[in-house]
Order: sequence, then C-alpha cells, then structure tokens
Amino acid sequence: MPKVDVTIEICGMAGDGTIAAGGLLNQAMSDSGLSVIGFDSYPAEIRGFGRCIARSRIGDEEILALEDRIDVLISLDDTQSISRTPLLTEHSSVFFDSNPPVHIEEEHSLAAQVEPGTMLYGMPFADLASEASGSPRGRNLTALGGFAAVFGVSPEPFHRVITAKFQSKGEKVVDANIKSFVAGFEYAQEHFSDRIQQVFTDANGMEGPERIMLSGNLAIGQGALDAGLKLYFGYPITPATPIMEYLAKKLPETGGRVVQMEDEIASIAAVIGASYAGSRSMTATSGPGFALMTELITHGVMTETPAVILNAQRGGPSTGLPTKTEQSDLHAAVFGGPGDSFRIVIAPTTVSECYTYVVKSFQLAEKYQTPVIVLTDFFLDNRVENILPLKATEEETACANVFPDESVMGNYRRYQVTESGISPRSVPGMEGFVFSATGLEHVEKGTPNYSPEIHMEMSGKRFRKIRGALKEMPPPEEFSDGGSLDVGLISWGSTFGSVLEAVNMCRHDGLKVGALKITSLFPYHDEIIRAFMARCQHILIPELNYQGQLADLIGCLYSKDVIRLNLATGTPMPPSVIEKKIREILS
Amino acid sequence: MKTSGKELADKVKGVGESRIFDIRSTELPTWCPGCGYFGIHQGLNKCINELGLQPHEVVTVSGIGCAGRYPFFTSTYGFHSTHGRAVPTATGVKIANPNLTVYVVGGDGDGLAIGGGHLPHVARRNVDVNYLMFDNSIYGLTKGQPSPSSQLGMKSKASPYGTQDAPLNATLLALSYGASFVARLFAGQPNEIAKALQEGTKHKGFAFFHIYTTCVTFDKSFKTWDNLKKWCHPVPDDHDPSDLRKAMDLVMEDNFSMGVIYRRD
Amino acid sequence: MAEQHYVIIGNGPAANEAAGALREKVPESRVSIISKEHVGYYQPHLLPDFIAGKVSLEEICVRPPAFYKEHGIKLRLGQEVVEVNFSKKELLLSHNEVIHFDGLIIATGGKPRIPEPLQVFEDLLMKLKTVADAKAWQDKLAEVDSVLVIGGDLTSLSFTKALLGLDKEISFIVDEDCFWPLRFTRERCDKVMERLTDKGVKVIECRKIKSLVRITDDLVEVETDTGRLAVGAVGGFFGLIPDVRFLARSGLHIERGILVDECLRTQFDGVYAAGDCAQVYHPELRDYWVSIGYRNARNLGRIAGLNLAGNRIQADMAAESIFQVEDIKVNTSWWTEF
Repeated sequence: MPKVDVTIEICGMAGDGTIAAGGLLNQAMSDSGLSVIGFDSYPAEIRGFGRCIARSRIGDEEILALEDRIDVLISLDDTQSISRTPLLTEHSSVFFDSNPPVHIEEEHSLAAQVEPGTMLYGMPFADLASEASGSPRGRNLTALGGFAAVFGVSPEPFHRVITAKFQSKGEKVVDANIKSFVAGFEYAQEHFSDRIQQVFTDANGMEGPERIMLSGNLAIGQGALDAGLKLYFGYPITPATPIMEYLAKKLPETGGRVVQMEDEIASIAAVIGASYAGSRSMTATSGPGFALMTELITHGVMTETPAVILNAQRGGPSTGLPTKTEQSDLHAAVFGGPGDSFRIVIAPTTVSECYTYVVKSFQLAEKYQTPVIVLTDFFLDNRVENILPLKATEEETACANVFPDESVMGNYRRYQVTESGISPRSVPGMEGFVFSATGLEHVEKGTPNYSPEIHMEMSGKRFRKIRGALKEMPPPEEFSDGGSLDVGLISWGSTFGSVLEAVNMCRHDGLKVGALKITSLFPYHDEIIRAFMARCQHILIPELNYQGQLADLIGCLYSKDVIRLNLATGTPMPPSVIEKKIREILS
Repeated sequence: MKTSGKELADKVKGVGESRIFDIRSTELPTWCPGCGYFGIHQGLNKCINELGLQPHEVVTVSGIGCAGRYPFFTSTYGFHSTHGRAVPTATGVKIANPNLTVYVVGGDGDGLAIGGGHLPHVARRNVDVNYLMFDNSIYGLTKGQPSPSSQLGMKSKASPYGTQDAPLNATLLALSYGASFVARLFAGQPNEIAKALQEGTKHKGFAFFHIYTTCVTFDKSFKTWDNLKKWCHPVPDDHDPSDLRKAMDLVMEDNFSMGVIYRRD
Repeated sequence: MAEQHYVIIGNGPAANEAAGALREKVPESRVSIISKEHVGYYQPHLLPDFIAGKVSLEEICVRPPAFYKEHGIKLRLGQEVVEVNFSKKELLLSHNEVIHFDGLIIATGGKPRIPEPLQVFEDLLMKLKTVADAKAWQDKLAEVDSVLVIGGDLTSLSFTKALLGLDKEISFIVDEDCFWPLRFTRERCDKVMERLTDKGVKVIECRKIKSLVRITDDLVEVETDTGRLAVGAVGGFFGLIPDVRFLARSGLHIERGILVDECLRTQFDGVYAAGDCAQVYHPELRDYWVSIGYRNARNLGRIAGLNLAGNRIQADMAAESIFQVEDIKVNTSWWTEF
C-alpha cells in the first residue's frame, strides 16, 4: 500500500487559470518522481462561464484510478468550490483567498461550509500576486506556491515547469509567474509554520527512467503519428476534438494532412475512401458522431476496407452529457449498424494503452481489411498520467496489407473465399488488379449478387476473418493469486484502474478476489474468459453505464447470473464503491 | 430515321477502333432500355479513352440510385459507396492518392437530397475530383418518387396531390458554392459530354457536370427525350465562362443552355 | 420567524458550555462556534505534558469534531473574528466574510501577557497558550538543550516540570512582576524557588532583564542586572490577559476584560461574555471580578448560554480549586484585584 496518496482539486471559474494550474501541478509532481493521474472537468459552455476543476491524484506508487474524495482543495473561486466540500476528507486541507475584494455572506463563504477537521489555509492570493508581479492574474500560481510550502514540495520543479510553460510568451511573463509562485510559497512558510504538513518531503517516488506527462488524447494522437497515419478526417466533437487539433499541428510535419470535414458521415466516408486508395487514415469522434458513422462502418465491413475509428465515449443517449464520462457505446461499437457486420473493437484502459492500441489498430485494420473501433471515454481521453516514454517499433508499424501476387493478374478475385477469410487486397493504381468495391452483397470478383448461397458463403468468410484476428488481439489479463476466487471482477476501459485498485485493497486484506482486464471486446477471447469465470464463485462486472453492456455481451459465458455494478453518474468509477460491493457480495 | 446495314457496320467498326470497350467492362448495365445513362456512360468512356488514361489509374465512385451500379460497367477501379456519400468518399480517395483520376457518378436524389450537404464542401475545398450529376428529376430505382429537382406540383405515387416543394437548380448551386468548373450537359449528346468531361478532367480542381437526362420508365411528361431535345441548346457563342456573375445570370435566365458555364483556373 | 442564529466566539470551556446550553434550550436555533485556533476544544493545562510527549493531541482534545456534527453545532476552526458591528448584529471574519447573529456570546478567553518592559523583546520570548505554541516548543526543543524560563505563572511551573523530564538545562528568572494575575506571597515564592533548585533548575536572582539578543537561530544571549547567560530558547510566562483587542473599537465597554453584569450581559441586547475574557460584576463585592480556571469558565459559559436562551441566572464565583506542582499548591479559583 502506498505511503503517499493525495487527491488534490483546484477549483475555479473558467478564466481563473484553474486547468493551467492543474497542468503545472501535475508536471511538477511528476518531475518530483511521483505517480500522477490528473483529470480536469470543465463546462460544456464557452470560456467565461461555469466551473472548472483540475483534479490530481498523486502517490509514491502507481496510481490506478481516481477516488471520489478530496484531500486538498485549492479554491480559486469559493462559490464554485462550495459544491466540492462534501467530498473533502476528514482531515483535508483547503487553500482559499482570504481577502476577497468584497464582503461575502456566510452562505457563499467556503470557510463556512467545511467541517471542523478541515485545515483552512487562507491566503490573500490576488494581493500577493499583485504585489509580486503587478497583476492579480498569477493568483493561481500563488495558490500553488502555498500548497507547495505547506505540503513540503520543493519549489524547484515548479520553477522549471512554469518556465517551460511560459517561455514562449517571453521572459517577463515567466518572471511574473515565478514571482507569483514564490510569493505564495513564502507567505505560507511564514504564516503557516505551525501547520506545515510535509506530506511529500520524504516521498521517494517511483524508480526507473524519466516519465512523461501525457493525456489519453495526446497518446492517441502520438500513437497514430508513430503508426504512420497519413490522413485524418474529422468533425469537432467533445471529447475527441483535441486529437484532431494535435494531429492538425503534427501531421503536416510528416507529409500528412488533417481535413476537417462537413460532418461525421463525410469524415468516415473519406477515411474509407482514403484507406481504399491505400493510405493509413483515421477519424475520431464521440457517441453522436459515431452513430452517424455506423452505416459507413458497415460499408467498410462489407467492402472489406480498413479504417480506424476512435470513439471517445461521453454520456448519452443523444447529445447526452458532452463533458461527462460514460461507457455506454459498447453495444453501438460492437453491433451498431445494419446487418451482421463483424468488426474489431478494442478498448484501452490506460494512457499507455491508448498509444499502443492505436498503433495496433492500424495493422489490425490492414491485415484483416476491416474497420477497427477503438473505444475510449472522456475520463481516459482527458486524464493525464505520467508514463514511461513510448515508441512503437518498425515491426509494429509495418504495412500489414496482404497484396495480390502476379499469378492472379488479369483474373483477380478481390473477395476470393479463403480459409482465413483474408483475400489479397489491391489498391487503385495497381495494374491488373482492378476491382469495384460495393456495399451490396457480392461474389468473389466483387460484382453484386443476392443469391442465398453467396450471402451465406460471404457472411461466413467475413466472420472467419474477424474471428481469426483474435490471435493477434490483446488477450485478457488476470490480476489475482490464482486458484478459485470468491469474487472475480471483469472490467474494461477506464474503469479497470478502479477495479484493480479495489481488488488490490481486498487482496491486501486477505480476500480471495481477482480481476480480469478485457481490452479486446469484439471478437473477445471467450475461452479465456469462460475459464476465468469457471474459477469464480461470483462474477462482478462494474461499468459506467446503466444497463451493464459488457455484462450483456459476455454474461452468456457464465453458468450463473453475473452481478452488475452499473453507475451512470457521468463521473469515473470510485474504487471505494467497487470495494464496498465486493464486501457486500462476500458477506 | 432508319440506319442502313452498312452505316451500322461502319459505326460498330469505329467503336471497336476507339478502344472504347477497354473502358467498358463486360458487365451489362442494369439500366432500362432507352435510359439516358447510356449516353453519359458512352461520353465518360470516350473521355477516358481519348485522354489516354489507363483504367487502373482511374477510380469511379458512386452512391446509391440507378447510377450506383455504374462502377461495375467500367473497367476502372470502382467504389460503390452508400447513399449520398460518393462525394466525401471520392474526397478521401483523391487526397490519399492525387495521381488517380477520380470520377463521381450519381443522381439528383443522391447528390441533392441525402448527399446535398457534401456538394458545398467538395466545391469550396476544390478537391480535384470530377462529379457527374445525372439529373433526371426523379427517384428511378425506388420507382418514381419526386426528387429535389422535380417540378413543383409533380404527381407520383408518393405525391398523389402534387409536390409542394420547389426544385433545386444544381448548376446554380454549384456556382454559388464556388465550384471552379461547372458544365451543364445533355445525356442525348455523348460527344458533347466527352468533350466537356475532357476539359473538366484536365482542370485542376473540382469539376461539376450537371447532366440532364431522362427516366424513360417513370417520367412520361417532364424530362422526356422529346422535351429535352426540344429545350436543350448550346450556350451562346459569346458566353464568357470566366465571369461568374455572367455565368449565374445565364443560368438564372435560361435553364437549358448547355456547355461549359464557368471555369476558374 | 426566521431561524435564530446564536454565535459564540471562542472555543474553550466557556464557549463549549454556552453552545451546549443553547443547543439544549433552543433546539430549533442555529448555533455556531467560531475559533481562530485550528484545533478543537482542548485542555490547555495539559500542553506541557504534550510538549513532553506524555500525551497526544487526541488525548488533550475534549471533544472530537464529530461531536459538533451530531449535536448540530457548527464548529468553525481557524477562522478569526476581526470586527463586530453590534448595531447591525454582524461579525466580520478575517477572510471578509460577514455573519449575521441574533445572539452573541464572547468567550475568547485569555492570551499571554508580556509585561511592558519586555515587550521590545517579544519576538524572542516564546509563549505557551495554544497547541500552535506547544508545537513551536516541540520543534525548538528538538534543536536546543538549554531553556530560560522568565516569569513564574502556573504554566511556567508545569512547563518547567515537563522540561525536567526532557533532560534540558533550565534556568529560571522570577521577575517582580511575574505572578500576574495571581500574586504569591513572598514566602510561597521562596518555597517554589527552593523546590526548583532542588530539582536542578538554575534559579537566577535578578531585578531586571536588560536585553535579549539573538545570536543564532538556536542561541539567545540574556543580560540581567546581575549577569549574562546564553540559552537555546527563552520562554515568557506572565499569565494571561483577556483576548478582546478585536473589540477595541466596537463600542463594547471593556476595561481589562469585557464588562458584564451579574447575568453576564454586556451593554448590548443579546450579547454576553463569559470566561477569561469577561470582567463580571459581583453585587456583593460591589466590584468586578475576573475568573481563571477551567471550572469558572465552564460555569460562566453555561450561565451565558442559559441566559441568552431566556433565563436570568446570576453568576457566582466557583469554590476554590487547587493547582499543584509537586507539593506546591496554589489557589486558582478567583481573583479580584488588578
């Protein structure tokens, strides 16, 4: 169990520099050798309205999930922060502005809302920042300075990250921000000398090489670039937009291009067109956009055209909760669209996996000539983790398309029925292998045909092909002491970190509990899952959706009913909720 | 007018020499006898042939409708997409491999109704694809419902009391969307089609061909062969296709002047 | 009628008794305790034991935070009242928050007194009144081996006892002015000194402290009329004075403490004072008295709470109680003279 495990929230109004402060905090803590998960939440509305929260969990061992609790609240706007007070732990700390420009009423005062166990650190943020830098704008950094002094974090990493962040804006800006930080640091040292907590003073942090701070979205973007992405077609949608923005900047450096299309249908159509023409291409979207894409995704299935589609899930149905997290597009990803449209669906559980799975998806799409859907969610996309640097190998990024050879020139059958289901695929420009792709059912040559035999045969070919991909897809990973288990948890996506943390807590207490991580959702490793289930007294599947979509998908592999833990709150699954459920099952 | 045996033999011989069958596939078109699409097919084949393009360097992209099956009737690479999505698919193809010559074929329903949202964007993006819109003002494949370019008041099984929606003018739309090459053509004139297509294919940028055609099966009163032959006439000799304002004036005043309406290099 | 809001400033024995009485008698009201200290209600006389490491912070705390939640009392720690507007019935906290009250009990207790001649050296005199002071002593004692205790109030004696347990070298200066507000007889004073000497404390006889000079962080040079010495730290123990400075401009009648009648009422309606900060009129003495000691404070706090809730109970002095250091006993019940 970790010695240091602190959840910090910076809360303010849009425009207060809340998210920026969170970014600096995460980077500085990461540079100090600690493990960090950061997750920001911000309003769907434009700048100037609504609450922003930068949430970080920091520890000396690998942090797997976020917990629904706050150990340290740094308030840049008390009105916004008041709503966070129910999450404060018994011995929490609250940093707040002790000199607001006007008198505030008791009901609007943060200090009035906290429980007596909370340690209050009132600091005149704005005054200190103004005195130090001539402007109150740096008050978010003043607040960070106060936090660093009280919690025993060295100011040096903060100085470095502030310099790095503001370097492009010139020395004056760097200087002003460092001064604001130092003002807060010194004020806290002087005024809170009797209440210094020194939590991080002796934290040794994690061993190993230097870590990098990356969000799920940037890991996706980086993975796509390293995989040799040439074209990205997309349409803005929360929470997938940062992927497009990142690639818009980076792709031209490698000769690629981002085209912002007129809608999601056009985006997927262009991806399929470009892939058909032999270019590695992808799109990223979220639920509503994904719904629009499903017809063309099945067209990719029917024409056996590669495509990589990232669905960054958010709360649904319909427009739903654009800035909240949910895992409710699993069925849409696996089954969405007309007909028996077998496709590959994979879902990373961590930022590192976002990278590796996106890299993998291009080879899977090419080799198996199919749309590959990568399912992430708002939490995974937007959270930052400090991870070991990632670099895909040449082997992992090599072209995996099976091209036809000269022997079939002139008599090329694009959809030749094979045992594996994979038929050699030509691309336009190749002489002697001309074919037409169609969304209609077709014969081996590609010409439309609706006969019962052909439809049965071709459906079988397409299914065999996708089923065959399973051997190259990431298998389930088990986390247990082996043997028979009283409760076996199965989980996917960003929820898995919470599941593992809960399971580790239970195992620490000697309970016979284990977890199975599933990242290949279609096709899935039914034999491995069935074998795991057979060793478990109870199967518990926690998910961030109301109906239990994974439970629906794989529940049939278990001899009894699986137990569901379905949360549709729009927020990440707290490990404590899972742990409570495990103990409830065992009692 | 009857064709004599010798004349027919000469014609067939000419066709053979023109290598036009290199572009045509061996699949038999599924269109009704007398369909205007045969003329467009002939014009496009002639164009590809005369430009000396190799079939494997050409991609023909279609959507859904009577024109949807078009790729199977040529020996180029083909991509039969979903309803309305030929244009963005072709965008992907062309951006992925600019060495390919890309033709989009589709009807007025595919391109003005379900896919109507893509026309402005392919035009303003000026993607170097050639879009042939087969406009017969009717849904033929689904048996005769009104399309976005049907005449106001058109009666059909789906509109027994007559349509209440005004028709769209695809040429005018293309002009206002900023298409850099716009031609209006008549399916009954394959040679004119081939000529304009050649010019448009050579044009660097988006080329839009609004082709008036007929549905011999479901349209007995509006865009019939007889009417179209009567109404269609070449653009005036003095028409300056480099002037967008004049091009728009021309289109608004006269719905049946045929030829290159506008081009901007 | 809107819910009544009763506010108690302070979080010692008087404040807590007052809050309990109000909660009991006016259950539908809102009761808030506001304390500038960051820790909850604790027993200050055990702070020397805390410094010596004999008791933990939890052990000297009287009530856990959960108690207040259970009893519907809003406890606001680490928040300081800086102004009171009695006509508007509003308090202003240091972080610019305004709180309305319908009834107010001031029970801020006392704060360490520094005699005037020594006030110029205040920065070098460590005090012992709060948990924060005790923590500062703990930190300091981890660094230094010698301590000079100046003064000689009750706290100084128990503190000295704690230091003896920590094996520190202790010097002790009894100042003329020391035993405020209690005044020992010369005889008793001599006895105390004798006892301290027996215990190994170096008792320094002098009349005046001329200067204190900080040489390094952990070394202070002391010059008296009789000599010089260098010590690691200097503690000043001169008793307490009512902690009422924040009310100086409020219009409230204050002499040494807040003047209240025998029912603990100030001159403002609905405003009471109790405990070490109050100067209570005694009809029989026909004079004011100041309480010290836990029991007096509790008693007065309860009366203030009950009276604010509508009673008219007269406060009286508690019976004598005994403070004991080793075999030295001191009466701590009450004291009337200034």
